[in-house]
Amino acid sequence: MLRSSGALAATSAVLAACSSTKPSIARIGESPTTVKLEDLAVTDIVLLRTAMSMETMAAAMLSDTAVTAIASKDSASVIAAFSTDHTSHLEDLRVLISARNGEVYTETNAKLMQAYGQTALDLIASGKLPADVLALTLAVETLIAATYQYFVSLTAEPALRADMVRLGGRSSRRAAVAAQLINGGTGGFAPANDKDGVALVATLPGAFGSLSAVQVQLGPVNEVGTRATVLMDTPSLNSLIY
Amino acid sequence: MSMTTRRRLIASLLAGGAVVAAAPLFAGHASAAEAGAPPHRDAADNEALNACLDRESRMVATYRKAIVGLTENDLIAMTLILDHHIAYAHALKGYLAVEAITPSSAPLASPTGSLTSIARQLATLEDQTATIHTNTIGTIKGLDAATLLASIVTVEARHAAALELIAGASPIAAVGN
Repeated sequence: MLRSSGALAATSAVLAACSSTKPSIARIGESPTTVKLEDLAVTDIVLLRTAMSMETMAAAMLSDTAVTAIASKDSASVIAAFSTDHTSHLEDLRVLISARNGEVYTETNAKLMQAYGQTALDLIASGKLPADVLALTLAVETLIAATYQYFVSLTAEPALRADMVRLGGRSSRRAAVAAQLINGGTGGFAPANDKDGVALVATLPGAFGSLSAVQVQLGPVNEVGTRATVLMDTPSLNSLIY
Repeated sequence: MSMTTRRRLIASLLAGGAVVAAAPLFAGHASAAEAGAPPHRDAADNEALNACLDRESRMVATYRKAIVGLTENDLIAMTLILDHHIAYAHALKGYLAVEAITPSSAPLASPTGSLTSIARQLATLEDQTATIHTNTIGTIKGLDAATLLASIVTVEARHAAALELIAGASPIAAVGN
């Protein structure tokens, strides 16, 4: 009897709570008004607009004066070409968006620029280490490749998934070139450590493309002998361009 | 029955009742979210995925030939890429499970000699393999298989660019511009 009455009471309470539209608990004083969040869908156009924001951000970061001012002669032309590539991808994305009656997006991804983009540039500007330029380039290209790879899992239209992978593949190639410019030759292909046990840059860090945050150490050495680590995440629900 | 035990029983009954009552509500939301979403798997994709498996199996056979005679870092690097292709074949085979065919083990080429002399040929094969997988992504419906192939293409693009550099291409040419 106790069991059945308990279950009945619980069910009744839940159903009663669901059916009521008014608050059932008395409140003293002012109660804040709850504003329901807008119901936004992650559509293929949203993903393409976000991709535009990421490509714009990559081009802006690689052509920022903090980068160009300290890039070595050899790497400067390569990084400039990479930046131009990102700008050219905008046209590819523009065509894909227009074909779906979407609205193009020409700004950088403000949330991710604030979350880590500007931090990375500020660290490079304060450290003034030419090696940071290639480290940032590798991180940015890895991030863009991972973004497209991730977007495949969110894209509804199969043909568009292939377009995403094509664009991501170009960033992957640039990432491999940047990694080779840091740690060249076949000795740089596989993950390895130096004599002090510090991980070296690997051109092929894993068999499958990773979607975890891209980590890059930038800027000056601090008082405890370490450098700042910047974590770069692919766009998520709060940084998509709806 | 002691007071404490009785209270516990009532509390657990209340909690259990709430879960039972709430379950259909959550289930309703879940099914609404899934409606209209792309399928995770589609049996119609199996033929195209088996073609990808076949390609990866042949890449494995090609790299097995390529590593013969290589030494030191070159051997380590090419064995790493060989291992990647073995992993891709295993992943596709695992995905297809009982629907997997027995793939060909015929190499796509017979690369022999120093790595510098065979790297461009291998880079071309990597490019072609990535293109096959990318085109497959554009035709299959299942999201899980598309996601798997995307994670493979991302790294095969790196293979291609790195091998182009080893073959003597400039950094900008190795990107494919």
